[in-house]
Amino acid sequence: MTHTALVAWSGLAIGLLFGATGQRTGFCLFRGLQRQWLDGDGRKLRAFALAMAVALLGSQGLASLGWVSLGASLYPTASLSWLLVPLGGVLFGYGMALANGCGARSLVLLGSGNLRSFVVLICLGVAAYMTMSGVLAPLRLWLEGLTALPLPARDLPALLAGFGLTPGLARGLPSLLLGGSLLAYALSHGPLRAAPREWLGGLIIGALIPAAWYATGVLGQDDFEPVRLASLTFIAPIGDALQYLMLATGTALGFSVTLVLGVLLGALAAALLTRTFVWQGFPTPQRMLRSMAGGTLMGIGGVLALGCSIGQGLTGFSTLALTSFVAIAGILAGTRLGVSGPLALSKV
Amino acid sequence: MSYPSPLTTRLALAGALLFTAPPLLASDAWQRLEPARALVGDAVPEGDGLVLELPHVSEDGSAVPLTVRFEPVLEDDAIASIHLFATGNPYPEVAGFHFTEQAARPEVSTRVRLNESQRVVAVAVSREGRVWTSEREVRVTVSGCLIRGDEETPEALANPRVSLPDFRAGEPGEVRTLITHPMETGLREGPDGEVLPRYIIETFRVSLDGETAFEAELHPSVSANPYLRFYLTPQAEGEALFEWQDDSGERAEYRAELTLS
Repeated sequence: MTHTALVAWSGLAIGLLFGATGQRTGFCLFRGLQRQWLDGDGRKLRAFALAMAVALLGSQGLASLGWVSLGASLYPTASLSWLLVPLGGVLFGYGMALANGCGARSLVLLGSGNLRSFVVLICLGVAAYMTMSGVLAPLRLWLEGLTALPLPARDLPALLAGFGLTPGLARGLPSLLLGGSLLAYALSHGPLRAAPREWLGGLIIGALIPAAWYATGVLGQDDFEPVRLASLTFIAPIGDALQYLMLATGTALGFSVTLVLGVLLGALAAALLTRTFVWQGFPTPQRMLRSMAGGTLMGIGGVLALGCSIGQGLTGFSTLALTSFVAIAGILAGTRLGVSGPLALSKV
Repeated sequence: MSYPSPLTTRLALAGALLFTAPPLLASDAWQRLEPARALVGDAVPEGDGLVLELPHVSEDGSAVPLTVRFEPVLEDDAIASIHLFATGNPYPEVAGFHFTEQAARPEVSTRVRLNESQRVVAVAVSREGRVWTSEREVRVTVSGCLIRGDEETPEALANPRVSLPDFRAGEPGEVRTLITHPMETGLREGPDGEVLPRYIIETFRVSLDGETAFEAELHPSVSANPYLRFYLTPQAEGEALFEWQDDSGERAEYRAELTLS
């Protein structure tokens, strides 16, 4: 098997695991934030924090073993658009509140029979490509050039090394401090410890991030045609998957497309096996409009912020890229706007 | 005073159309390219056989994967060279590949630069002077990856990489090569606004025991760190010499002992 085929199959396998886990556990940043802020139920949010800790420790572990060089991924950028990255995060967060879940969650829900998610996904994929290379791309590039801000370093380890720390310490210190505090935040919570479904979900999904780095970075390594280092993210890949459906004869099947397919199939299998597959549609046209707006905002915002709740929240964060911290703050702010305050949306 | 009758007018129109139509209909992209016309000469390009593989859509115009190959087996003739052109690039010539009996399978992959959506043209010429052409439309969109800083550039011509298969006598074996080189086009501005001078690898040659087996001439439309995948058909065991020559006069080489199984 060629290395590119191996990477594509790994994408499918990782996607299947993600889809089945998501379907069984309801792993979701949006649901976590909403329950925390509205109902005071912190289990889902802390399960997400657990996933962040596992993703961070696993990925930095891989990097310190020298297996992957996380700097080759797209997150540790040398400069940052001070406007588009936080704005993209806010748009994504608000879109997530409108659509009642992120892109990955919509794939899982579609696999469980939720046709509302189908509408979200189509709008998301099209909006993502509009922003990446379509009608909105010239505007994006113009604004990016106008608001580019050089960063003092690409990621936290590089920043700390600039203060004179040894490379090992510069990587280990922020990883252990951030990973440790997230672990403590998650595991100190009795209700989470008492809910194995929740913490298992966080554990498995967190572990899939370094697994995907391994797939693209180690299995995809080739002197002549290396596969681009990537891990789980869903905005561009949902667009890629739609494009692949339409242009398969002229495009190569890559990790992102098989990942999306895997999530869908994994969720479908889990739903069928546990007899939880239920067809669902829109009760009103207003709800449909809301889903369309949510998908579109997530597509645009996810591209501007270089990632979604998974792509920046777990994957970008696991590289300790400075840009990722800005994007995550934007996503949290946008979600907050959608859940409470003057712009809050009704809970559905 | 006599006016031309409607019939005469129509006949004249039809005649004019007939006279002008064939060149319009037959205007393949290669005919608008001087270097391609020179290659074809008086020969009449033949139909199918030359296959050009490119993605329909590419979001990274700086490295578009391309494969060109000639499929039919010719009797008492063989493909001598295949030439690539990018009609929409400032320099349309992309590369030329020269095959011999020790590189008998006419198939090459590389990565090329396409600066806009355009038609890519391949022309194959046989030893007997027969010609085949093939064209492919490629859409190039702006990059999907967002802001990337300039990476530190590694030393040019350092680290030639060659991957060789287990050769069997008389059977084509796939060879892959890559070398570090910026392939500066001479059209791009550096960070200080000054135009960076042209600096490219111009030729790549493989010799088997001193005899040229495969040769490629490269132009600025070949992507940085030129990658070439092609086939060698060594007739006997011996030493293979891979040479890259750039326009500053520098060269790099890689030697390997070929064994046949």
